[in-house]
Amino acid sequence: MITTNNLSKVYGDITVLDSLNLNIKAGDLYCLLGANGAGKTTTINLLLGFIKPTSGSSFINGLAISENPKKTKKHLAYIPENLMLYPNLSAVENLDYFSGIGGNQLNKAQLEGFLEEAGLQTSAFHQRISTFSKGMRQKVGIALALAKDASVLLLDEPTSGLDPKASNEFGLLLQKLRNKGVAILMATHDLFRAKEIATHIGIMKNGQLKQEFVADEISLGDLEHAYLKTMEYKEAVL
Amino acid sequence: MIHSTFIKELKELSRDGRVRISFLIVVLLMAVATWISKSQYTTINEQYQEAETAERHIWEAQGEKNPHSAAHYGTYAFKPKYPLSLVDHGVDKFTGTSIFLEAHKRNEAQFSKAADQTGLARFGDLTPDFVLLFILPLLIVFLGYNAFTKEKEMGTLVLLKSQGTPVGKLIFGKWLGIFTPIFITVALLFIVAGIVLSNLNDFGVFSWTSLGVMFLVYLAYYIIFINLVLFISSKMKKSGISLVLSLGAWILACLAVPKAASNMAESQYPYPTRQEFAASITKDQKSGIDGHDPWNKQAKMLENEVLKQHNVDSLEQLPFNFDAYRMQKGEEHTAEIYFKHYKHLKTQFEQQSKLYRNLAVLSPFLPTRFMSMAVANTDYSTHWDFADAAETYRVDLQAFLNGNFAENSSYGEWSYRADESTWKEMPAFDYDPPELSEILSRNSSNSAILSAWILGSFSLLFFTTKKL
Repeated sequence: MITTNNLSKVYGDITVLDSLNLNIKAGDLYCLLGANGAGKTTTINLLLGFIKPTSGSSFINGLAISENPKKTKKHLAYIPENLMLYPNLSAVENLDYFSGIGGNQLNKAQLEGFLEEAGLQTSAFHQRISTFSKGMRQKVGIALALAKDASVLLLDEPTSGLDPKASNEFGLLLQKLRNKGVAILMATHDLFRAKEIATHIGIMKNGQLKQEFVADEISLGDLEHAYLKTMEYKEAVL
Repeated sequence: MIHSTFIKELKELSRDGRVRISFLIVVLLMAVATWISKSQYTTINEQYQEAETAERHIWEAQGEKNPHSAAHYGTYAFKPKYPLSLVDHGVDKFTGTSIFLEAHKRNEAQFSKAADQTGLARFGDLTPDFVLLFILPLLIVFLGYNAFTKEKEMGTLVLLKSQGTPVGKLIFGKWLGIFTPIFITVALLFIVAGIVLSNLNDFGVFSWTSLGVMFLVYLAYYIIFINLVLFISSKMKKSGISLVLSLGAWILACLAVPKAASNMAESQYPYPTRQEFAASITKDQKSGIDGHDPWNKQAKMLENEVLKQHNVDSLEQLPFNFDAYRMQKGEEHTAEIYFKHYKHLKTQFEQQSKLYRNLAVLSPFLPTRFMSMAVANTDYSTHWDFADAAETYRVDLQAFLNGNFAENSSYGEWSYRADESTWKEMPAFDYDPPELSEILSRNSSNSAILSAWILGSFSLLFFTTKKL
């Protein structure tokens, strides 16, 4: 579960995040939409404990991040926009290493099991990551979250640059995780994918959460309209 | 976590073609350097054995001769080669290999290898110590410069941080990942060197303990370099900058500081020129007794003193040959003068060494180099030790010859001929280098500096790197 209370981050005179309040429950997939500089990545960095908030507080499964940075990381998995792994190691070796440093020693069968569950084809298990596409690397990232048994997953633009098939497969994997009770926060530009997979959608601008929707209660057209209006963009007339 | 990082680093290094090629180059260079050194030194050692035997034979086969003629005829003290000089050539190339021992004069060591070489020698030799002191640290730079920067550049550091990886454990894992292949490579090289050295015939006494100490010295040197390179990598964001800074550290430590130290030592504590040195000795000699000149003021004083001592009126009445006695006194006077002037040189050398030690704060190269040369018996201290031993032998030889002349002839009997068996009575020159314990004791300050470097660099790496 992810909770933020009036979470803010200020750099000098610039407020990059302004009193963000989120409450993402187990099994929820919350998509944060917004243009570049809206505060999406700052939110994720604050939740990861990479940066400290100027004010406000945030919690992972009830644990205050600022007070328990190490403990909260045990519950977290994170997949950045361009997940980079060690190119000279295979998928299994990468998974083994990242699980190992998280204190989770797994045997070969378990590692392969998680990669399979994440949808990576069996023939790629022992191939070096240098030969992997971005979609394949993202699947290893999901396998990492599965292996860690993370209850919270943070995703920063994970589908950017993926082809529609890979993006769809990734969406299905997130659905699977959601069904397992994982609370997911995903920053994205992709309205279509957000509408497809999210339970909740928030639109951010200039560090503020401007609008929130329950995904089932809004159509893609209305979401697009709301987004463009929030961003003060002109709608294309076809 | 440390173990996982260590294994991961080893896998990455072993799969990196550049690393494999670098290791191959280092091992090949070392093999070639050892082979060249072994060939050279086997030849030199054979020449040494041959020359020593021939020279002794010439000395013993002089036949009947006046002892003072034998003193002028002279002999040679040959500087032995020691097994570990194969690993570290030290200053052997420049110091000369033998000293001519004759009456009235202390000679410098001559026949240095450098004197026999052409201008091409300026390019230096491919020797094991060159690989150990210069190339291996360079290999460490190439192994470690991007240890952390590549994680930052690739983005894997973000993933590591999101896993809650403690920085200290990550650093230690990476440290082990670089240290282990270096340790294995260097250990194998030293074991191979040990096997080669222990199988060389007539090559002095090989000691595994000394080789072990030398190995530890180099290991300390590499640990310092690993710490410095990892520290730089941990602080930089770009691999390119980290590489440039690491190479800068290598240049500073291995090239710039030693050369600057040498220049500073020379300018602050200069040796007198050969001409100045010879002129000062001649000046002092004139102020004392001349063994060959019976009309010399001091010789006359000695004459009166001896006559009075023995309560006789003329030199002919003395129970020994006063000519020989006077020459021995002249010899003793000359030896004192040489002792005084060489002591000054030694003081200058010690001052220079002190300056080097002070500058070792700037570079771990200096204490490593000094300790390596000392353990290999190829440093200046060992050379001084050898030169002093040769001088002691020369003084004893002159005393023996003058004694024989004085006891077996009477005043003015220059026609005296010592028996041909006389020469064998003087034992051959035999030089034993300082024991390892003495070498370590002499170099305790270098050991302390090296230890301080290790502690300092570890502290720098682990205590100043809280965040990546």
